[in-house]
Amino acid sequence: MEPDVSIETGSMIRIAVIPVGGSIPHQWLREYVSMLSRHTRIDLSSISSFYSEHQKSPFTHQPWESGSLLFKYMVGGAPPSPWEDFQAHRKILAVIGLCHCPASPDLDLVIDQFASVSKGYGSALAKRLFAFSPSDEQLREGREKENSIILFPSADQQAQELQMLTMIQDVAATLLMEFEKWVLRAESTGTILKTPLDSQSNLSSEEVIKAKKRRLARAQKTIGDYCLLAGSPVDANAHFVTAIELARLTGDIFWHAGALEGSVCALLVGRMDERDSLLEEEVKYRYYSVIQLYKRSYLQDNAQRVSTATFELEAQLKLARYLCRRHLVKEVVELLMNASDGAKSLIDPSDCLILYVEIARLFGALGYQRKAAFFSRQVAQLYLKQDNVSAAISAMQVLSMTSKAYHVERRGTNRKQHGSPHEIESCTAESGKNYPQSIISLFESQWSTLQMVVLREILMSSVRAGDPLAAWSAAARLLRSFYPLITPAGQSGLASSLANSADRLRSGTRCADPVLPFIRLHSFRMHPSQMEIIKRNPAKNDWWTDSAPSGPFIYTPFSKGGTTDSNKLELNWIVGEPDQVLVELANPCAFELSVESIYLSIHSGNFDAFPVRVNLPPNTAKVVLLSGIPTKIGPVSIPGCIVHCFGVITEHLFRDVDDLLLGAAQGLVLSDPFRCCGSVKLKNVVVPNITVISPLPLLVSYAVGGDGAMILYEGEIRDIRIRLTNAGTVPIEQAHISLSGRNQNSVTSIAHESLNSALPLKPGAEVSFIVTIKAWKLSLADSGHDPGKNTSGATRGVSTESSNPFLVIHYAGPISHTDEFYSSEPSVSPGRRLVVPLHVGVVQGLRFVKARLFSMEIPARVSVAVPQRVSLNESDAEEITAHSRIDSLVKIDPYRGSWELRLLELELSNPTDVVFDVNVSVQFDTAEFGCPKTRIDHNCSARVLVPLEHFKLPVLDNSLFAKGLKSTAFVSKSSSFAERNTKAELAASISNLVSKIKVRWQSGRNSSGELNIKDAVQAALQTSVMDILLPDPLTFGFRLTNGRSKTENIADASKSVHSDVIQALHQSSISVHEMTDIEVLIRNNTRELIQMSLSINCRDVAGDNCIEGDNATVLWAGILSGISLEIPPLEELVHPFSLYFLVPGEYTLLAAAVIDDENDVLRARARTDSADEPIFCRGSPFRIIVTGTL
Amino acid sequence: MIVCVAVVGRQNNPLYLQSFTEADDALKLHHIVHCSLDVIEERVNNPKKSGPTLNETFLGLLYPTENYKVYGYLTNSKVKFILVTTDLDVRDVDVRSFFRRFHSAYVDAVSNPFHVPGKKITSKAFASRVTTLVKSFGSTAPA
Repeated sequence: MEPDVSIETGSMIRIAVIPVGGSIPHQWLREYVSMLSRHTRIDLSSISSFYSEHQKSPFTHQPWESGSLLFKYMVGGAPPSPWEDFQAHRKILAVIGLCHCPASPDLDLVIDQFASVSKGYGSALAKRLFAFSPSDEQLREGREKENSIILFPSADQQAQELQMLTMIQDVAATLLMEFEKWVLRAESTGTILKTPLDSQSNLSSEEVIKAKKRRLARAQKTIGDYCLLAGSPVDANAHFVTAIELARLTGDIFWHAGALEGSVCALLVGRMDERDSLLEEEVKYRYYSVIQLYKRSYLQDNAQRVSTATFELEAQLKLARYLCRRHLVKEVVELLMNASDGAKSLIDPSDCLILYVEIARLFGALGYQRKAAFFSRQVAQLYLKQDNVSAAISAMQVLSMTSKAYHVERRGTNRKQHGSPHEIESCTAESGKNYPQSIISLFESQWSTLQMVVLREILMSSVRAGDPLAAWSAAARLLRSFYPLITPAGQSGLASSLANSADRLRSGTRCADPVLPFIRLHSFRMHPSQMEIIKRNPAKNDWWTDSAPSGPFIYTPFSKGGTTDSNKLELNWIVGEPDQVLVELANPCAFELSVESIYLSIHSGNFDAFPVRVNLPPNTAKVVLLSGIPTKIGPVSIPGCIVHCFGVITEHLFRDVDDLLLGAAQGLVLSDPFRCCGSVKLKNVVVPNITVISPLPLLVSYAVGGDGAMILYEGEIRDIRIRLTNAGTVPIEQAHISLSGRNQNSVTSIAHESLNSALPLKPGAEVSFIVTIKAWKLSLADSGHDPGKNTSGATRGVSTESSNPFLVIHYAGPISHTDEFYSSEPSVSPGRRLVVPLHVGVVQGLRFVKARLFSMEIPARVSVAVPQRVSLNESDAEEITAHSRIDSLVKIDPYRGSWELRLLELELSNPTDVVFDVNVSVQFDTAEFGCPKTRIDHNCSARVLVPLEHFKLPVLDNSLFAKGLKSTAFVSKSSSFAERNTKAELAASISNLVSKIKVRWQSGRNSSGELNIKDAVQAALQTSVMDILLPDPLTFGFRLTNGRSKTENIADASKSVHSDVIQALHQSSISVHEMTDIEVLIRNNTRELIQMSLSINCRDVAGDNCIEGDNATVLWAGILSGISLEIPPLEELVHPFSLYFLVPGEYTLLAAAVIDDENDVLRARARTDSADEPIFCRGSPFRIIVTGTL
Repeated sequence: MIVCVAVVGRQNNPLYLQSFTEADDALKLHHIVHCSLDVIEERVNNPKKSGPTLNETFLGLLYPTENYKVYGYLTNSKVKFILVTTDLDVRDVDVRSFFRRFHSAYVDAVSNPFHVPGKKITSKAFASRVTTLVKSFGSTAPA
């Protein structure tokens, strides 16, 4: 069989084109051949000048005006066909040698070679040797041998082509004359024409006449063939008609068919231009009979040796090609299917190959892509059966042509065809839903069974053909698309074939088909809080305010990538500052994938991407951070990643994977590679519009002494020095610090001025400033207080990250007009925001447990001196030294009287591992002094006592007391406004009091702080604040007077008292049976005269009254009860009396008074409402120790 | 004898393909079904020829190949049914009725609320129903 047959083939003159001489370089040979093959149709009119009629031409009806000769060049020649006699067009009728002169200097040698080669073509009627680009010498030489070699001087293209045309016309004329000769000879003498069918046929048999007729018929047929070749269809037809008649008569079926076929050819050539249904019908009719005749000529007995099946098939193919049009599709398909069925009867595998090629081509021409692909695959399989490289290459090429029909084509090569408008049209026309084009291709990609077979065959053939890139690509497609259908062993096999192919490729080879890691966009890294870009509002002084994001937090560590507002996502990248994109890689295969490098693929050319190396274990997905630096201002789009994997560089487009995932969601694709790797489904990733903008300043913060979290105890005060460096290339001209986040008020001071003074901050410059922080109190939520779970000491009470305050620094470079093109709107370069979290870990420190107020009554000893009274009057207060006051705060001298000492007890516990020193200090008007330190060991608790006596005011003052009066006196009347007012006043006075008490602590060398106990103290004091603040209206004191002047001045006594303490101890001993003179001192602390009745009582240890009653053990002189006295304001009165003790022991003296003319102030102090109730004033007890007589 | 039935979706994606031969010729049948799409496509795109039979779902004999005959059926939703048989003389009426019953089986399978349109049909009930249909096609031709 021959390839490329058509009905018109019968009229083509075959010319062998043979390269001779030295080997011709490819491109030259190609050029020479192309120069030749331009001339396939030579008009008869053009060759008339070369034609000379020696005899009368047998082609009487030759159409000299319109006819032409058809040439078919067989480059490389062809072996002679055994069927040459049967069909003249199978003969090689001319030989043209091509010689490249520079490669073959000796022309004689070339001529000899050509002569010997052309001898092989016995049927050749014309032989020419063309020599191209000869040297001058060769030109000269060649001129002598003009008959045997034709030189084409390397003149300009046009001249050469003209010469070629002339030469071809010459050949045509020569051939025409030879044909005439041949026909004349055949007509006159007749020839013996045989086919392989006849070789052993029955010539020996009977009828000679029949044999003669048969010979005549064959001669007529052959003459007809020559007529066809000579371009004279009318003549040919005449001869064929005769031949058909004779052949039918003689039953020479085979030749009958040949003649009939020739007649159709003549018919068609004769009516080249017109083509109507009538002609079509005629051709169809005749050809069907041709096919029938060929079928009949099939002889079973010599089928093994020679078969006419090829003719039958060729006839079918010819007819199919002729009919190959849309509306005749059914017939063509039938013809082709019959032909393909006939393939079984073919003996020669190459015949089969040609048949399948032709069938595939015809199906392709019909638009039956799938059928064409099917037969192409058959062709490829036949090629693969041949065991040589070129067959494998052919197989590979054929298969890669089919890949489109199976939707497994290589990327890049066919992409444009793929998205042809026609296809889109058909898709939208067919489907109601409009799928994106890329998805539609997924639909047909479900013929996985077929696709895998095709890809495997491509892989196999390209391995055999030695095309590593094709092999790599096929393996890549196979692995990427069908990994779920391939066993783990098969996957590894593919991986190794990828690696093997890559070994044979040059490093850095690119391939359009991506392989493995499936890559999808995970997210865009927004600018970390340290470099956030803030739009600047040039009109405002605080330019950042407009653009601050709404919501309670400017920055929360929980916010996810900032993709909250997906609609208008804009991302600004800055020239020279690295930016990051997160992509997710998935390796759904069973082998470990090593990605040699992966980086962002950016076509806009203004981004330098940094490659990353990744290893993906089997069946895993990984999120990888890819980064790069923008280099130029402009938009950036990221279509995908460049991956260097399995030795080849490929581009993976995100869009493809998106389509794949979409397909997976709709069940079109076998599986979702990410899901089968255990990766979760991503929300729709919004690809922001990325713009690269010009450089901005960049502040980098650094907390001096380490960025790590400082661990502070609650209430600890610490300075944090923060150093800012401008790491950008633009100076900072504006900067502003503000606070945000939780626990903002724990930042007590920020040194704004040290930052402002450093502006403008040049690139590279540094500035540092101090932030003072006082560790906040741990709330229950902070400490995660769950005693059941959280018992370990390490985690106990450390505040979480989220409770840190943040310093927010807005800063900006100069307001510049970055873009001069948009001059109408001066663009303002944006500012930035730096968020510096103050990393403070607060741990539980000294723990305040509770505050309690209690009063102690320690009876004073009655001695010569009246117990010292602090702040009696101003002059006194000044005279008393600070030292003694400190003493008096805590020490209680049993010999000194006490007026109901009130103590604030603070219970503190220390749950930490360190030791705390607690220092309570009380602030007075002028000075501040503290108690000695209290040390609290770890896991211990302690109580610190704070005496509150000294807060007492010296005078029970009406004006001052008005507040107190109101607050207490009108409680029941509930005049709400006044009450509230007074309550506020009261609270103010309490907090004033509380603020005077400071509990400071120190632990270790450098942590110190203050305990915040205000609330607790306030609560403790709330009820009894009046007693603490206000003095009693009357105070009482007792004094021994024996041996002393009665009128001794109290002031004197108080002056000397300190030095006389010891002495007084001895002096004041009282013994039984002795008259003891005692004075009671009553002091009026109010500013008004007080009338009262005083009574004095003496009790023994048991608390029984020992002055009155049956068992009185004390005798007395003077008045002890019902003493009416009148004390002027702020004055003292002395009332003397004498006691006589009968029994030694301890006695207590008590003075009490009932105030007669009580006023409001007094009533309020006594907290009584009713005017009738007497106001009773009681003094502190005084002790008297009575010794026995020794 | 029916060797293969197939359901091909609107986008020429295979939804169901079942062969009923013992021999290992699944690939071949895949190819036959795949190739028959050419013919269906051609008929669908050139409705001119089938003017009077515009609403005809039965496409008739698609093409003969080797030892098989391929019949086609096109639903209104552009889902294609393909039948491959080895019988050489099949009456169109039989094929037509087979397709009609096959169609109703398909409709039932697709009506399953758990079936995702466009996905392959995995229903066992459908498979067994098709098997009975195919078996009955050979024996009781005039249904």
